[in-house]
Amino acid sequence: MTEPIGLSINLPVNRVMRALMHEHDVAIWRSASGRLSAWNNRCPHRGMRLSHGFVRGEALACLYHGWHYDAEGKCRYIPAHPELTPPDTIEVKSYSIEESSGILWLTTSGKAEPLALPDNLQPVRSITFDCHADAVVKSMSVSTLAGTDGDPLRIVPISQKPHALSLETANGEASVFILLQQCAGQTAAHILADNNWSADGLVEISRWSEETRRIAEKAVGELAAAEQGVE
Amino acid sequence: MMSGLERAKQDWYPVEMVGGLASGETRDTRLLGIDITLSADDDGKVSVTAGDTPWPTMVAYDHIWTSPSSDPRPLFEIPEAEEKDRRFVPCGVVRVKCSPLRAVENFLDIAHFPFVHTDILGAEPHTEVEPYDVNIDESKDEVIATKVKFFQPQAAKSAGDGIITDYVYRVPAPMVSILYKTCPPKPDAQDVIALFVQPLDEETCDVWPWMALYDYESTMADMIHFQQMIFLQDRSILENQMPRRLPLDPRKEIPTRADMTSIAYRRWLKRNGAVYGALTEVR
Repeated sequence: MTEPIGLSINLPVNRVMRALMHEHDVAIWRSASGRLSAWNNRCPHRGMRLSHGFVRGEALACLYHGWHYDAEGKCRYIPAHPELTPPDTIEVKSYSIEESSGILWLTTSGKAEPLALPDNLQPVRSITFDCHADAVVKSMSVSTLAGTDGDPLRIVPISQKPHALSLETANGEASVFILLQQCAGQTAAHILADNNWSADGLVEISRWSEETRRIAEKAVGELAAAEQGVE
Repeated sequence: MMSGLERAKQDWYPVEMVGGLASGETRDTRLLGIDITLSADDDGKVSVTAGDTPWPTMVAYDHIWTSPSSDPRPLFEIPEAEEKDRRFVPCGVVRVKCSPLRAVENFLDIAHFPFVHTDILGAEPHTEVEPYDVNIDESKDEVIATKVKFFQPQAAKSAGDGIITDYVYRVPAPMVSILYKTCPPKPDAQDVIALFVQPLDEETCDVWPWMALYDYESTMADMIHFQQMIFLQDRSILENQMPRRLPLDPRKEIPTRADMTSIAYRRWLKRNGAVYGALTEVR
């Protein structure tokens, strides 16, 4: 299945990032020309995580020995042997990654299929919660967003797989879109807002997400403490 | 056949520097997954116990060594430790979340110098590794690599400009590596740097670097700082190699000609059943 693993703006050209998706550790990078790739996060030479590597033009180089891999994941250059043409068998496994609505969409099997979202969205931020997605959604309904006159936000589910929802203001004029990605005990929320939000409004949404995180992690902490008390 | 753990229990391991514990001081640590306690008596002499069982101890190369075995294999020799005109520098300890074998293998590797120790032990575009010799010294049962050469911008604390550095590497025990390298102020001699590894378990180790140098200029603090800086750069690699244990099946990690020492080391470990900290099957 396809999951939202980050915001496009957080992966500029010449940069590498790491994404965890279920049991998969993935290195994601954008070449100098803007080409996006997602690979198994392990150099076939000595097992080093490629997310620590560096981009050289259209290649990603491993930090350990500088082995260069092209956009197809084939090793093209081994600095210890500059004259050698590396055999085609030295290859990193690649995955399908797509960009849509300012979100990076990844799958580790088959072709990535982004969720269709409105085309008037602007990125706000990504934020990681130390708890399950259910606790995140629950805490959203009790945290307040400044500039909405204290009206509760209406949470509108969009999709379960991938996990997406929107928040509507009471007058229905402005919305926030949230893509949730859960991995192990953590949940990442990738937040977008429509064009009706001002720059100040985006700052408020960012603050709201931090308040949501405080509420969610506090609730989970109290629950765990209560369960321990019962034992 | 003896298990990897049983084989590993026959060797000596470093657990402290000489003088590292004050008189009357104790410290808990771990060796091969076993909890042990170090205690220094009034004279500073260190004893080691696992629960109620005393373990043998010995002092060598400025470190305290111990073993779970009552009759361990003899400790390897470093003849240069007898050369009184050298300066002996125990460098302290660095905890690394990796197999003890990965820590040794990294120490044997020169191809990473330009990328991990940039502008110190190596620099682009000087990345090429020339062919060198690797053998097993059957009389001592050691891996030995000779005629290793590499261009280094700042080979040692005592080095000025860039030089071609000559290296010899020895692996006299599975968790020990010793290198001999060009000594910048004394071209006819070689500095000695060793890595003594204390395996806490198969995926965690304490590394005790030790040096025997012809450097009369640098302060002890400078020499220790230089070596620690180098090793902390190595740690950022070692803690990001997956899997944490060293795979011995050649299909699991693809080597190239520059990795001849690593290839020989992995084969030698397998041949000796020294597989504590190793992966022996493709998963």
